Amino acid sequence: MTQNARSDALHLAVQHFAAGDSRHTFAGLALEIAAFQREFSAGFARLVKRRGASLTSVEAIPGVPSDAFRLARVAVHPEAEDSVRFATSGTTGSGHGIHAMRRTDTYRALALSYGKSALLSGAGSRRVVALAPRLDDPPTSSLGYMMAMFMVDFERREAGAERAPERWLIDERGVNVSELERACQLAWDADEELIVLATSFALVSLLDALDGRTLRAPARTTVMQTGGFKGKSREIAPSELRASVARSFGISEARVVSEYGMTELTSQLYEATLPGSALATARPAAPGVYVEPPWLRVVPVDPVSLEAVALGEVGIARIVDLGNVDSAIAVQTQDSVRRVAGGVELLGRAAGAPARGCSLAIEEFLAAHSP
Amino acid sequence: MSNSEYAARRRRLEPLFESARSLLDPGSERGKSARQRLQVSSGLSPEGVEFALQRCLESAPSEAETEALIRATPQARRAHVLLSANVFVAAHRAIAIGLAASEHVQVRASRREPEMAELLLEGAPGAFTLVSELSPQPGDHLWAYGSDETLNAVKQTLPLGVVFHRHGSGFGIAVIGGQPPSDTLSALLAALAEDIALFDQRGCLSPRVLLVDSGPELAHEVALELAAALTKLEQRVPRGRLDAAEAAEITTFCDSASYFGDVYPAGLGFVSSAESSAWLMPPIGRNLHVLPTRNVKASIAKLSHLVTSCAFAGDAELRASLEAALPGARFCRFGELQSPPFDGPVDRRLLAT
Repeated sequence: MTQNARSDALHLAVQHFAAGDSRHTFAGLALEIAAFQREFSAGFARLVKRRGASLTSVEAIPGVPSDAFRLARVAVHPEAEDSVRFATSGTTGSGHGIHAMRRTDTYRALALSYGKSALLSGAGSRRVVALAPRLDDPPTSSLGYMMAMFMVDFERREAGAERAPERWLIDERGVNVSELERACQLAWDADEELIVLATSFALVSLLDALDGRTLRAPARTTVMQTGGFKGKSREIAPSELRASVARSFGISEARVVSEYGMTELTSQLYEATLPGSALATARPAAPGVYVEPPWLRVVPVDPVSLEAVALGEVGIARIVDLGNVDSAIAVQTQDSVRRVAGGVELLGRAAGAPARGCSLAIEEFLAAHSP
Repeated sequence: MSNSEYAARRRRLEPLFESARSLLDPGSERGKSARQRLQVSSGLSPEGVEFALQRCLESAPSEAETEALIRATPQARRAHVLLSANVFVAAHRAIAIGLAASEHVQVRASRREPEMAELLLEGAPGAFTLVSELSPQPGDHLWAYGSDETLNAVKQTLPLGVVFHRHGSGFGIAVIGGQPPSDTLSALLAALAEDIALFDQRGCLSPRVLLVDSGPELAHEVALELAAALTKLEQRVPRGRLDAAEAAEITTFCDSASYFGDVYPAGLGFVSSAESSAWLMPPIGRNLHVLPTRNVKASIAKLSHLVTSCAFAGDAELRASLEAALPGARFCRFGELQSPPFDGPVDRRLLAT
């Protein structure tokens, strides 16, 4: 079987698994994908060898450091076969990396399946807007791409509907509050569920623009918030941001749902708090707890040994994502996490070695150097 | 500068030089005390402290160097010196620059490495004042050494009119042009291993990347031989302790580096190499990346503003082109990266702009 035929078979298997096909298991697929990547990615093969990894269990799959995406290409296929290239925005001041995908149907299937379960609370008609800049063409933001998918799919529209400018409510002047108010009004008048997709810093900008005013939003409004602040706005504690956003939309805090995703991943995690959502019904968890989809597993590991830490201890997240068929089945992040009942808590980015004296810190290098 | 002014400046330096000289004897009480205190504050092994003192403390700068330092230093009513951590010998040069500038010198040592400034003051009482906070006034000069992040924060607090001499984040590189004979290569790499090992690579002169002007085959050979040289040196000068964040960065780096190329253990450190001419920046702790390139000048272009120093072995044409590409960087032979002439700040990038 050729490389692409094997890749295609794995994509299909992952999609079937995500759809509930019990012929596959998470571990079985993870190990198959790891073996595939070891065979066709010289880089991953070297990493496996260096770590002395046996690839006989999920825990034994070494994670490709997320930094690696910022330094060079992480993909089993050649550039000519890329169908999309998503750029990471990086942490404050750092250079960006690329996650190239050969095919996007698996991304689409996984993101939609889990996004629906976490963000939709009813069967009626919906309106989706994004506090985000207009989608570029070709898309380079994985978050923007996902938001566009949600607009089309959640509203059951034809492809292309996501291009409507009134859906993207950030421009060079900041948050377009009047267009957001209009979306709220239209949803209210049509008795639609309103879904607002936003980054944390966009929500802070919205709060600043509203200056204490409350939007007249439908009761069935859900706000998906994602990402950190990345130096783009003042920072607000998560609990305060959640409360302020809920107050501004006139909704309960449970309807402000946090998402965790990275450009280096194909899949996402969500809080399971939205009343009536499939995720909150099947796997309810406290606010601040991110629930993994069945096709993704977070393994908190020790930052030096990279061995899994004991249950309940803080480690950095190694994320095994079956969606990453053609890139890195396991991604080693620098995000501190702790496994708790129902999922994982995110505790922020683990501090790198602080700049001490005048020797160049790794973050400073990354800031100066991007591919 | 008049002769009398020059002479006054020169006189202010001598007690400091004498103080530094008196630290070198490991058998003296002062020498013993210095070694104990510096070992604790620096985290270096005892051998690492000795190695740094003997190799890098400028105890007897030449008159030509001293004159160059004095003439390159502006006169100031008051001089303030903010020291950085890690490279403890840097306190000597930094305070010398302060003394060359003014008879009123206030020094704030790093909280993590306060010992060297105190040791120098103990040997030259009254030469300068150690303070816990600097308070420069308009017209004063401040020489500050540290990370860009620290210096940016310092700048925010300065009153208008303070002359700010900043020496921020940077790193050293080494360049091998062409293919040297094998005995020459071995000598170069043994010398480079010493440059890397000094201060466990925590200084802004410390080499982090070796650019080899050739294909990946030579880079591979160089990486292997450098790893062997570092391993051998570590037996004589063991690496000191790393903190948890530094150790974690090394783990991450080694995994990233192995994704792109080869990683060779080098004692407790690592040497990486790759076929690609993409940059990797190893963390501190005696780690180096060997980067093969057919165009050294183009390879360093993006990071040229961060390069403080370059150990060079190659032909004159390549050197000239690199000197043009790295304005302000100090060029030297392998093994001399950590002991630049005592003619002013080690970091001359600001002076070149």
